[in-house]
Amino acid sequence: MSEPSTEPISYDALVQDERVHASLYTDPRIFADEMDRLFFRGWVFIGHESEIPLPGDFVTRPIGTQPVIMARAMDGQVSVMVNRCAHRGTMVCSEARGNTRTFACPYHGWTYDLTGELLGVPYPTAYDGRLDKKTKSLGCAARVGSYRGFVFACLGPTSVTLEQHLGVATGLIDRACDLSPEGEVQLTAGWVKHRCSSNWKMLPENDLDGYHLGFVHMALFKSVRTQYNRFTGDEKSVKGVVRDWGNGHTEIDWSPAYDGPFEWFGTAASDVVGRYVAALQARDGAAVMARRVFEGPPHALIFPNLFLGEMNIAVVEPVGVEESVHWHTPMFLKGVPEFDRRLLRQSEAAMGPASFLLPDDLTITGRNQIGLHSRRTEWLELSRGVHREHVDAEGRRVSHLTDETTNRGFYRQYRKLMTGA
Amino acid sequence: MISESEHRAVVDFLYREARLADEGRYAEWEALWTDDGVYWVPASTDPAPDPDRHLSHVYDNRSRIATRVKLLQSGYRPSQDPPSPMRRLVSNIEVRKAEGSELIAESNFLLAELAVQAKHEMHVWAGARHIGCAGWTARCECAERRSC
Repeated sequence: MSEPSTEPISYDALVQDERVHASLYTDPRIFADEMDRLFFRGWVFIGHESEIPLPGDFVTRPIGTQPVIMARAMDGQVSVMVNRCAHRGTMVCSEARGNTRTFACPYHGWTYDLTGELLGVPYPTAYDGRLDKKTKSLGCAARVGSYRGFVFACLGPTSVTLEQHLGVATGLIDRACDLSPEGEVQLTAGWVKHRCSSNWKMLPENDLDGYHLGFVHMALFKSVRTQYNRFTGDEKSVKGVVRDWGNGHTEIDWSPAYDGPFEWFGTAASDVVGRYVAALQARDGAAVMARRVFEGPPHALIFPNLFLGEMNIAVVEPVGVEESVHWHTPMFLKGVPEFDRRLLRQSEAAMGPASFLLPDDLTITGRNQIGLHSRRTEWLELSRGVHREHVDAEGRRVSHLTDETTNRGFYRQYRKLMTGA
Repeated sequence: MISESEHRAVVDFLYREARLADEGRYAEWEALWTDDGVYWVPASTDPAPDPDRHLSHVYDNRSRIATRVKLLQSGYRPSQDPPSPMRRLVSNIEVRKAEGSELIAESNFLLAELAVQAKHEMHVWAGARHIGCAGWTARCECAERRSC
């Protein structure tokens, strides 16, 4: 690693239209800026309402490097608060999930309610009436918002609403939720975490890279037939497109290469699928139903940390400048629990340390991390397909499946937030 | 009660299985599995995890075990290119009788893997295994709880 510099960091210089600088992946000062500007002052995905269906339900997890609690209060509202006692900084709750009325700090017994309000402290007379409980809550996120059950939070102050942050990319979340006959997805199977020795940005960049499939995942394609095999081979024969939806939200759309419905699911033939199609058709009509089951779920990044990975939901957790954790869970469709078993097995095949895809991706990102320490060559290319992308009628940039339109979109938003523009 | 020779055979089986996996002898390793074999590594911390409701690390039926081996043998997996040197230490073996002729073996393991594909990190897992042995060289199910 290069010697720490005291020069001010110019994100305009480091993040250019067609290349980005290696220090974005190796400089601890840049990581600290990201934790502040993207993961503290920016909107990030925190969890899903289906994880905490009942009053008193909670989950704990990080936002960036900060521990937080997402809980459902007795009035049904979702609150997101820092998992840190106002007294001495102790992480208050160490359970991954549970149901409770209160959070009691294990150190000195300070007790909080489900919205983070301080209820009481032991032996209060020693504070002589000067402890203002209202100022000693578990710090609540400045803003919490939910879109179709996906809960996002912004811990620090911001003038940006969730609606503004998501922009038209709500359409990507809609594409997932509308596959459920009840219009809801459920993330109730639990999460598997996969540690990775690379900067966190490598994970979303790889998730939205349509160029690597035929190389990194050749073992799978040579061993079994999958819906992805068609995305390898001759460039001209590879259909499918990438899209930049704005605000860093980006997509790989495989569906132009599909020949029929349910290719994303692997099978269209069963009684359950028949009942599912009938339920969708009753709600949406035949034409919309046919489009939904043809196109399937989104393969998209909601900037910066939520990956709608087709029938999986994945989250990237930055740990340190050269360490991150990939979380994933299958996306169940409410109303068709008969699909759950298949979705579990597909999820186990695709993601996690014992799966058939992600270990190869994360080995490569680990190798990227080693290579990026080179001082002789300092830039990463982002120019692929820049001459052939175009803007569609909805204002989205679109290009060939293998083009870096997605990651250029990621870095446009990154530069905007990091420069405060 | 199980006999001394039954116990010995189960221990030999567990050691042999570990050695074949350690040495990447996957064709021989795969041959240990019966057709109805299930290789399960739960991920849930639930005391009674349900593979049909909770996400697992691995829940392979016999066909997926074959796919897993095929991928490893394809020579195209960056995550095992080059293969990780690794060793499994198997201990705390307890054997008991189940239904019919089947035996149940409980054991602990410690698996150390040197991930030489990128940063040469040492990965260590500890856990407990529950194996139903339908014969001396075959088993019908294996559940592994990886505790770290």
